[in-house]
Amino acid sequence: MSTPLTLRTIHHPDGRPVLSARGEIDMSNLPEFRAALAAAVTGSGPIVVDLTAVDYLDSGAINALFVHAEHLHLICNRVLLPALRISGLTELATVEAPDAP
Amino acid sequence: MTSGADGRLRAAEIAETTEIAETTEIAEAMEAAGIADATGAGVFAADQEVGEDLAVVDWSATPIGEPSGWPQSLRTAVSILLSSRFPMWMAWGPRLTFFCNAAYRRDTLGQKYPWALGRPADQVWEEIWDDIGPRIEHVLATGRATWDQGLLLFLERSGYPEETYHTFSYSPLRDDWGTVVGMLCVVSEDTERVIGERRMATLRDLGSDPSVARTEQEMLEFAASQLGRNQRDLPFTLTYLFDDDGGARLAATTGIVSGHPAAPGHVPSDSGLWPAAAAAQGRSVLVDLGDPALGSLPTGAWPTPPAQALVVPLLHQGSVPVGFVVAALNRYRPLDEGYRGFVDLIAGHVAGGILSARSYRAQLRRAEELAELDRAKTAFFSNISHEFRTPLTLITGPVQELRTRLADAEPVVRAEVEVIHRNGLRLGKLVNALLDFSRIEAGRMRASYEPVDLAAVTGELASVFRSAIEKAGLRFEVDCLPLAEPVHVDRGMWEKVILNLLSNAVKFTFDGAVAVRVRTQDDHAVVTVADTGIGIAEAEMPRLFERFHRVENARSRSSEGSGIGLALVKELVGLHGGTITADSAQDRGTTFTIRLPFGYAHLPADAVTEGPAMVTASASVEPFVEEAMRWLPDTAVPDLQPAAPGDAALPPRVGSPALTDAVRGLPARVLVADDNADMREYLTRLLRGAGHEVRAVTDGQAALETVRGELPDLVVSDVMMPRLDGLGLVAALRADRRTASVPVLLLSARAGQEASIQGLEAGADDYLVKPFSAAELLARVRANVELARLRSQHARWRTALVDSLQEGFFVCDADGTVAEINATFAEILGYGPDGLPYRPPLAWWPDPDTDPHAYQRVRQEFSRLVEDTSGEGDLPLVHRDGHRVWLRATFNRVEDPVAGRHVIVGTVRDITGEHYTVQRDTALAALAEQLAQADTVPEALAAAATELRRTWSAHHVTIAVFPPASAGSHREPDLVRTSEHSRWSDLAPELRTLLSALREAPPLAPQVDQPGCAGVTVGYPGGVLVVWIDLGDRRPFGAEDQALLSVLAGRLGQGVHRVHEIDQQREAAVALQHAILGPASLPGGFAVRYQPAIRPLQVGGDWYDTVPLAEGRIGIVVGDCVGHGLNAAAVMGQLRSACRALLLEHSSPARALAGLDRFAALLPGAECTTVFCAILDPASGELVYSSAGHPPPILVRADGTAATLDGGRGIPLGVRIDRHRDQDRLVIPARATLLLYTDGLIERRRRSLDDGIARAAAAVHDGRGMPVEELASHLMAVLTPEGGYEDDVALLLYRPPRPLEIEFVAAPSELAPVRHTLRDWLSRCDLNAQMINDVLIAVGEACNNAVEHGHREHPAGMVRLRAAALADQLWVSVIDSGRWKPLDPEATARGNRGRGIALMRGLMHHVTIDATESGTIVEMSTRIAT
Repeated sequence: MSTPLTLRTIHHPDGRPVLSARGEIDMSNLPEFRAALAAAVTGSGPIVVDLTAVDYLDSGAINALFVHAEHLHLICNRVLLPALRISGLTELATVEAPDAP
Repeated sequence: MTSGADGRLRAAEIAETTEIAETTEIAEAMEAAGIADATGAGVFAADQEVGEDLAVVDWSATPIGEPSGWPQSLRTAVSILLSSRFPMWMAWGPRLTFFCNAAYRRDTLGQKYPWALGRPADQVWEEIWDDIGPRIEHVLATGRATWDQGLLLFLERSGYPEETYHTFSYSPLRDDWGTVVGMLCVVSEDTERVIGERRMATLRDLGSDPSVARTEQEMLEFAASQLGRNQRDLPFTLTYLFDDDGGARLAATTGIVSGHPAAPGHVPSDSGLWPAAAAAQGRSVLVDLGDPALGSLPTGAWPTPPAQALVVPLLHQGSVPVGFVVAALNRYRPLDEGYRGFVDLIAGHVAGGILSARSYRAQLRRAEELAELDRAKTAFFSNISHEFRTPLTLITGPVQELRTRLADAEPVVRAEVEVIHRNGLRLGKLVNALLDFSRIEAGRMRASYEPVDLAAVTGELASVFRSAIEKAGLRFEVDCLPLAEPVHVDRGMWEKVILNLLSNAVKFTFDGAVAVRVRTQDDHAVVTVADTGIGIAEAEMPRLFERFHRVENARSRSSEGSGIGLALVKELVGLHGGTITADSAQDRGTTFTIRLPFGYAHLPADAVTEGPAMVTASASVEPFVEEAMRWLPDTAVPDLQPAAPGDAALPPRVGSPALTDAVRGLPARVLVADDNADMREYLTRLLRGAGHEVRAVTDGQAALETVRGELPDLVVSDVMMPRLDGLGLVAALRADRRTASVPVLLLSARAGQEASIQGLEAGADDYLVKPFSAAELLARVRANVELARLRSQHARWRTALVDSLQEGFFVCDADGTVAEINATFAEILGYGPDGLPYRPPLAWWPDPDTDPHAYQRVRQEFSRLVEDTSGEGDLPLVHRDGHRVWLRATFNRVEDPVAGRHVIVGTVRDITGEHYTVQRDTALAALAEQLAQADTVPEALAAAATELRRTWSAHHVTIAVFPPASAGSHREPDLVRTSEHSRWSDLAPELRTLLSALREAPPLAPQVDQPGCAGVTVGYPGGVLVVWIDLGDRRPFGAEDQALLSVLAGRLGQGVHRVHEIDQQREAAVALQHAILGPASLPGGFAVRYQPAIRPLQVGGDWYDTVPLAEGRIGIVVGDCVGHGLNAAAVMGQLRSACRALLLEHSSPARALAGLDRFAALLPGAECTTVFCAILDPASGELVYSSAGHPPPILVRADGTAATLDGGRGIPLGVRIDRHRDQDRLVIPARATLLLYTDGLIERRRRSLDDGIARAAAAVHDGRGMPVEELASHLMAVLTPEGGYEDDVALLLYRPPRPLEIEFVAAPSELAPVRHTLRDWLSRCDLNAQMINDVLIAVGEACNNAVEHGHREHPAGMVRLRAAALADQLWVSVIDSGRWKPLDPEATARGNRGRGIALMRGLMHHVTIDATESGTIVEMSTRIAT
């Protein structure tokens, strides 16, 4: 049984793909996340990955993000910021952390 | 242990399961209660196991029908029942249909499961329906609950009626309309506790025998009276003791009369009713009692007779069985290990008692023999004294006669007679005093008390001393006022009292006065004898009246004295019913005060005579006065040195003309030395002509050799001679002590003053210048011979004196050469005067090679002897025959009048006996003290080894503890060593062989085959001890040492025996005590400590408890009964059980305490118990509590603020029964620490309780960063008062949330549930969202590693996650059984695994990864801001 994770890709009015994730990302559902991410990154343009509704992600997910880091604009929950920063992802991708609602 | 204890353990394990399981269970319970599911199976879902069995019951055949038709109330009741972990059963409906839960099945139902399910309760519990039926009816009829504490019920759950005890409550169950239609029973089984306490009480009573030593029969009777009180465990007992023929005779019984067919007075060894032969071999036998030959057996406390008996040998390890005990067994209990152990302990105790009674009897006999020996000695002594008196009388009588007859004889003759006379008197006085003592001691002192005018008698006695005292230059004040009434005294004794005191006064007084006074004071005649003498040092006062005690080094007129005068005086005054006291100040004098009662009521009637009071001094007066006279300076002692002329009664000065007549005409042996043959011949002829015996030699050397061979009376020598001249001869003669006193007359041709001075200076006695006339030579020869004779007579006199000394006497040079010894000295050391001179190293010194200690000591003392002017020392020396002799040497440096140099004069006394006595007493006392303080056998042995080592100044002492032969000799012996910690296998092989061989040696017989070593074997119940003393040098281990070792080994055996017994009893007691103390395991997050005030006990009046309640809640109790020790523990055990049951019943601390009030009022000793009782909901942290007069618990929050739980206060238990009790509530915040305790923890003398609470709060505050277990130890340590806790102490700590512990299969699918559980737990730690996420990610990485890397080889491996929160810190560990490669460079390069570890390190403060062959442990911690 894999950890609940909902993935949805839409296109922003400006044409950029937006991958929204909800739930938790861990070893059990990493392939799905990786596949969704690969599918969203179709061209060489930037894509938005909205992780605001992700409560947990592990180094596997961060590794997956690293593959496309240069193209990514991440929106994530503030509590995940330290993990992204420590892994060095914030240096390659743009990361936006809205204030908690 | 039976299912009861296992059950508790299992319940506790269940309580330890994870949060997930709990959550699930609660959900399922809700479902089961019918909220979610209405199918029949759902009713039983709360417990899978029992539920399944319930589901298959044919309910349609029961009055309550199919579950689908059950009312909601029944469904709820059943699911509550099934979900509870506390043993419960219930009955429902008209036939009381039976339900029970898993706990009840396990603890109580036994083999009746599952048969019982769905059956009418009166069938299920048919055998006890008479007991419980009425109770159930009562509940159904009244709707009110029942309560029974420790009720005895005979359950048939194990295939036989079993004695069981239960504490239970029946409460009503109502249907949907509120009618009572059933009942619920909550029960806790007390069987183990009740039976354990009962057996413990029997063992305790058995050991409570107040008398230590008693006869075998008394001991058996006492044991029987105690065993007879427990006829439940021991329906009857028979104690048989073996006879010499191997058979056994009946010595004691309980519960059965002697002579009953089963209790024959005698059992033969081969084929008797009871297996005597097996018992004699030390085997226990279980005997069936079905044999009709046994007759109708008594039943003990039960309705039916016992079916089996256990026959146990009376075996005290280390000895053969002395008999056996037949213990009939309780047929209602299984013969389990505990029961068997109980019977074994009883047999062990009886056996121990019998052996100690027998050994006591042997000791008693020995003591009687010694007393008989003492009586014989006294009789012998008084006989000897008599034997002395007869010849003494025959000496003193005729001497007295001679004195009269020889009044006109020559002075020298009279002087000799005087000496005999005086010493005869002195000896007579001493013998009389000794005789008096032996009479007093034997109770044969025949007194005749007559009424006398004490003032007159005393005054008269005193007056005899007047001349002596005045002659001594002292004032004598006699002030004896007449008394109002006569005093009854024995005249002879009274004389001795007064004369001894007066003689003492004269002896020690050099100026001032001696005073005698008689007065009346407080109905007593008071006689004082006071002096202004040297007084007595304060330190000597206590021993003043001790027999043979002499004040050392006191300045006195004479050193004579035996030390018995004052002792005799005290005895004599005592015989008169009086007292004597001494009052003294040093240098100011001494006053002796005698107080005698008037009348004669205090005296033996047959010794009182009413004779006329005559006032005359008896014959016993004379020796005292004579003796005193001799001490006085102007009447110097004639038998020691020449006296002054003038007194006709005294001998004249030595050397006066009168005395020379005595030696005139006696031929002398004269040695002539001259090189001139003519001169030699002339001298020879001349001297022979005068009647002398002459020997002639030709020179000085020849003369010297001749003199050394045989001493002449005079040497006549020429000055000028070859080889050795006259002056050289004189010098050589004078240089040798033996020849120094030989007179030498020098002849010289050289005239003139100078030459003669030179000759005399060389030491010549006289000098004659040639030519000389024959008459002149002969006159000079005669004068010198006479002088020499006088001198040698004096020397002989001195030799006789010295030889007569009781002490050894020696004279030695400054370089230590011993020049003279007396006969006693020769006798003590075996070296006679013939070997003189003895030069250092002296022959009697110890060998420096074989005995360096003693040698060193002697050398030291010897150098002191040579350097100091006087002194005393104890020396270990060696007798000529090789045995060790201890001598006390006293010495003085004096000037030798002959040789003109310093010599050392000393005496020696043989103190070997005293030395060893003192050594033995000291060593025994020290060993006994050490053994008394030891509580365990290893402690006792360690103390003994140290003590033995000290006694012999040994290099080291080894004690090997061999197991008993029966235990199999394969086990290697335990070892106790003084030098270093070591094991048997560390010893040198030779030593192992030696010690093993010694094991077979006869006990207590020292073995000294190895030089410098000694071994001895001691038997004790735990096996054989071999003690090995290695002196470390080649010192001999003499006969005295062996005797001492034997005595000490005996004492060691006794001591270890005692400790061993205590050890065994304690082990049994501890096992039993654990059964009534505290829960076997605690819920998570708790820590407890318990320390009873009475040391060997492990229980006391205080207790703590945690009780698992419904819905995961936990009851918490800390209480304190009045007092401590076993009685308090018994009360405590009952209160604890009651409180558990009440909490289960009420779920309200206040109501539980109110119930406990009623219970305490009925339980003696339970009044005024203080209790803090609370119910904790670990999920919400809410604590509801109530206190019965208990000190308030302390709460220290994570931020360090503290509070006490002061609400819900009430009075102690059992004081007022119906008083309302309050309760209060509070929420315990996450990571706060709650401390419950009893007042023993904080109470200090002269300090307020508030101080103590503040101190405890501060200690919790300081330790809030420690795990609770560590904090519990910390609190016990820092709060320990000086000298340890005086009262029982119970302590309970709780810190939420309880540590998390999860074990999961290493699979990716497990990660999410684990994470959720961890998130839930972290949120209960009251952490902020950021920290929760950081920890989750870090832990997630560790789990990823465990799943991914750790378990490639073991796909189904398990991972353990543990997390704990302290006040300011969080700890997490992840443990798997695989191995990862955390620093795999390739992986790091790829940035994968390296990223995971970097995340852990980045998100936590501290991370360690410990990868070993057996698995990987990741530990992480992070600080929590407070």
